[in-house]
Amino acid sequence: MKKSSIIGMVIIAIAIGVIMSTYADSSTYGSFGDAQETQKELHVVGTLVKEKEMVYNPEKDANYFSFYMLDNQGKECKVVFSGAKPQDFERSEQIVLTGQMVGSSFHANKILMKCPSKYTEDQVEVVEVSAQAKI
Amino acid sequence: MDIQFAGENLLPGKLGQFFIILSFGTSLLSLIAYYAATVNKDKSDLSWSKIARYSFFVNILAVIGIGACLFYIIYNHMFEYHYAWAHSSTKLPVYYIISSFWEGQEGSFWLWAFWQAVLGLILIKYAKTWENGVMTVIALSQLFLCSMLLGVEILGVKIGSSPFILLREAMEAPIFSRADYLSLIPDGNGLNPLLQNYWMVIHPPTLFLGFASMIVPFAYGIAGVWEKRYQDWVKPALPWSLFAVMILGTGIIMGSFWAYEALNFGGFWAWDPVENASIIPWLTLIAGVHVLIAYKNSGHSYFTALFLILISFILVLYASFLTRSGILGETSVHSFTSLGMSGQLLVYIFVFVAISVFLIVKHWKNFPITKKDEDTYSREFWLFIGAITLSVSCIQIIATTSIPVFNAVFGTEIAPPTDVIQHYNKWQIAFAVAVAVISAFSQFLKYKKTDVRKFYISIAVSFVVSLLVTAAVVYITKVYTNFMHIALTWASVFAILCNAKILGEAFKGKWKLSGSAVAHIGFALLLIGALVAAATNKVISINNTSIGFGEEFAKNNNPRENIILYKNDPIKMDRYTVTYLGDSTSGVNTYYKVNYKAFDDEGKVKENFNLYPNAQQNAKMRQIIASPDTKHYLLHDVYTHVSSVPLKEEEHVHDEHTDHSEDEHYEEPVPHEVSIGDTVRFREGMIIVRGVNKNAEIENIALTKNDVAIGLQLDVITESSTYKSEPIFLIKGNAKVDFGKKVDEAGLKLRFTNIMPEKDKLELTVYQKPKQDKKDWIVMKAIMFPYINLFWGGTIIMVIGFILSIFRRQKELK
Repeated sequence: MKKSSIIGMVIIAIAIGVIMSTYADSSTYGSFGDAQETQKELHVVGTLVKEKEMVYNPEKDANYFSFYMLDNQGKECKVVFSGAKPQDFERSEQIVLTGQMVGSSFHANKILMKCPSKYTEDQVEVVEVSAQAKI
Repeated sequence: MDIQFAGENLLPGKLGQFFIILSFGTSLLSLIAYYAATVNKDKSDLSWSKIARYSFFVNILAVIGIGACLFYIIYNHMFEYHYAWAHSSTKLPVYYIISSFWEGQEGSFWLWAFWQAVLGLILIKYAKTWENGVMTVIALSQLFLCSMLLGVEILGVKIGSSPFILLREAMEAPIFSRADYLSLIPDGNGLNPLLQNYWMVIHPPTLFLGFASMIVPFAYGIAGVWEKRYQDWVKPALPWSLFAVMILGTGIIMGSFWAYEALNFGGFWAWDPVENASIIPWLTLIAGVHVLIAYKNSGHSYFTALFLILISFILVLYASFLTRSGILGETSVHSFTSLGMSGQLLVYIFVFVAISVFLIVKHWKNFPITKKDEDTYSREFWLFIGAITLSVSCIQIIATTSIPVFNAVFGTEIAPPTDVIQHYNKWQIAFAVAVAVISAFSQFLKYKKTDVRKFYISIAVSFVVSLLVTAAVVYITKVYTNFMHIALTWASVFAILCNAKILGEAFKGKWKLSGSAVAHIGFALLLIGALVAAATNKVISINNTSIGFGEEFAKNNNPRENIILYKNDPIKMDRYTVTYLGDSTSGVNTYYKVNYKAFDDEGKVKENFNLYPNAQQNAKMRQIIASPDTKHYLLHDVYTHVSSVPLKEEEHVHDEHTDHSEDEHYEEPVPHEVSIGDTVRFREGMIIVRGVNKNAEIENIALTKNDVAIGLQLDVITESSTYKSEPIFLIKGNAKVDFGKKVDEAGLKLRFTNIMPEKDKLELTVYQKPKQDKKDWIVMKAIMFPYINLFWGGTIIMVIGFILSIFRRQKELK
C-alpha cells in the first residue's frame, strides 16, 4: 500500500475522532425541567426575575451569589453561583447558565449574559437644557 | 418638510462619502484593467497595465481620504455623525480616538482596505512579471472591501455600511424633528472602556495587516495556476507567506497580551470563538509555508501546498464572517454586533472559493504532481506530516468554533461544550506534542534521502539530554500531575535542544538554517510557557474565612476564589500579606491600591509592591468594569483584579447622616478613666493620652473668662499610621458640654466626657464602628502565573526567526 493512502486513512480516522468528540463534549440547551431529570451539565437560557431578591453580600461571603431566573418555558428557579456577582447583572436581557441542578436550586458554574450594552445600544441620551435656575 | 438643522457640519461626511464611491469605482476599474492586461496576448501592449496602475493609485488616495475624513469627524467630536457618536466621546484622550476608529465594523473594514492598498502598492513596485495576475486578485478583494463601506441601497438590498451616516439618518427619535437637536446631544456614547488600553491602539492594525497580507500568497497561487506558471509562483509566494504568518502571529499574541493585561477573565487565551477565528488561518498558512518549502526542494506535495495557501485566505474570510455576522451570538463575549451584512460577506467568501475551485479543476491535469512516494527518512516527508498535523488541529478548532454555524444551517440546537477550555486543550496538547517532536527531528533529515545511521546518532544525544532536562523542568514547574503535560514539556524541550544544535552549526557557517532553528526554538518556548502558565496558575485569593451556606453548598466544593479586603486590614493570602490601602480616582477610572508584602523566615520584608487594579464606576447604571493590574517578575506574575467594590453613590448617602443618628453606626460606647501617658486599646490599635491642652478653642463658640475649655491630646495609632485627635471638654457656667472628634480612618469617635478631680482621672469615651461598615472594602481575585514570560519571550524569538527566514527566502529570489 502506498504511504500516502495510509496517511490519508489516519487523517480521516483522527478527523472522525475530532467530530465525535465535538459531539460528545457538546452540551444541550434545556430548561430547568430538563435539568431536574438529568445529572449532566447543561445550558439553560432565560431571564432574570427582577422582582425577587438577589443575594450578594461580599462582606459575608464574596463567593456566594444567588438570584431567581425564569427559563424559556416559564419555570422559575433559584440559581446559586459560587463566585462574585457579574458586573452589570441587573441590566441583563438574557442569561445563559451552564451548570446542573442540586436539590431544588440550580448551581451555575458559568454565567453568560447579554446586555443592552451602552456601546451597541442605539438610544440617544438626551439632555434637556433647562432655562430655569436651580432654587 | 425640510428642516434646516442647526450646527451640523456636513462637508466632511459628503467628502468622505465621495471618497468611498471613488474607491469603489477605482477598484472596479483597476480589476477590469488588470484582468484585461493579464489575458492580453500582446505583452508589449502596456495600455491596460497603465490604466490599472493609475486607477489603483487613485484607489489608495481615496482610501486615505476616507480615513482622513473619518478621523477629522471623530477628532472634532461631530456627533451629528453616527460613527463619532457611537464610538467616541469628548472625554476621550487623543490616542484612544485612534482605537475608537476601529471599534466599529466600518472602521475595521477601512483598516483592512488600507493595508491591502499598501500591499498592492508594494506589489506594483516589486512584483515585476507577476504584477498583472496578482493584482487582479487583489483588486477584486479591494472591490469587495470597498463595497462593505458603500452604504447604498440597490434594488432594495443594502450594500455595505457607511461610516459617514448621520445620527438622524441612523436612528428614529422625536428629537430629530427639532432643528436644534444637536445642542441636545452633548456627548457621544464613548469607547468601550475595555478598549481603552494602549494595546488596543496597536493590536488591531497589526492583526489586520496580518489578515490583509494573507491575500498575497493566495494571489500568487491563483495567478500561478491561471497564467499556467505552475511552479514559478512558489518562490515569490514563500517570503510573503512568512511575512503574513509573522505579522498575524504577532497580532494574535498582542491580542492575547491585551486580554491578559486589560480583561478580567484571568488568562491569556480562553479559546473564545473570536480568538479561534484568528488562529485558524494562521495554522493553515504555517502548514502551507512548510509544504511550500518541501515542494520547492523536492517536488513533492504540490497540491497540498497550493491547497493550504488558498484555503488560508478563504479561512480569513470565514473568520471575518464568524466575527462580523453576529452568528456567534451566544457563544462569544466579544464579537461585533451584526450590521446585516452577512449576505455580502458570504458572497465575498463564495466568489473566492469559486475562483479557487474553478482554476484547480480546470488545470488539474497540468499540475506537477509526482507519482513517487517520499522516502520515510526524508525531510519533505516529515514537513508534509507536520503540516498535516497542523491542519488536523485546525479542523478540530474549526469544528467546535463553528457549532453556531451548524445550528444556523441545519436548524439544530447544539450547545458548545460546557468546559470549552478543557475540550480544546485535550486535543490541542496532543497535536502540539506531535508538531514539536516533528519540528525537532526533521531538522536532521535531508531532502530526498538521509543516511539513517547518521540521523539516529545526531538525535540520540539530544534525545537523552532532553529526557534529563525534562525531568528537571517538570520538577521545577510542577506540571507532573498530568501525563500529557509531561509529554508536551518533553516534546518542547526536545525541539529546543535539536534546534539549538542546528543553530550552533549555523554559527559555524550554515547560516541559512538559522531562521527556522530560531523560529522553532521560539515556538517551543512559547508552548512550554503557555503550558506551565495555563496548567499551574494558581488562584491565591482563596477565601477560607467566610461563613458557610449550608451542607448543600459545601458539597459542590467550588474553590472560593474571591476574597474581601477591608481597608487597612491585612489579610494573609498565600505567601503574601495583602492590604487594601484605599482608592483614588483619575478620569473615569478608580484605582484601588493594594499592597502586597512577603516576608522571609526571619520576618524581614522580602517583597513589597503595590498593585492598582482599576474599575470604571458608573453609579447611574450601577455597574463596574474592572481591569486588572499585574506585577511582573522574571519567573512569575501576580495578577489582581477587583470583582466587586462599593459603588460610589452609596458612600455619599452615609455622609449625609446627622450627628445624632450617626451614633447608631457605632458600637456601644466604652468609657475609660485615664491619666496622661495612659494607653487605651481598641480593636485595631491603641490610643495614647499625650496631654491636656488648657487653652483649647472651639469653632463658632466665643469663650469668656469664666469658661473652661480643655482639650485632650490623643495619638491614635493603627497598624498603618498615627492620627492626632483632640476632643474637648467645656464648662460654660454650670453646664458641662463636650465636643467629640471623629477619626474616620480608624473608624473611631472619641469624646472627652468628664473630669474627675477627686480621682485625678479624665474620662475618655471611645465609640468604635462595627467591623462591617466601618471601612471601605473591595472584593478581589488574585492569580499567580508562573513562567508566563516564556510565553511572551518565545513569541519574540519566533518572530525573530521569521524575520531571518524572510531575508533568506528574499535572497533566493535574486
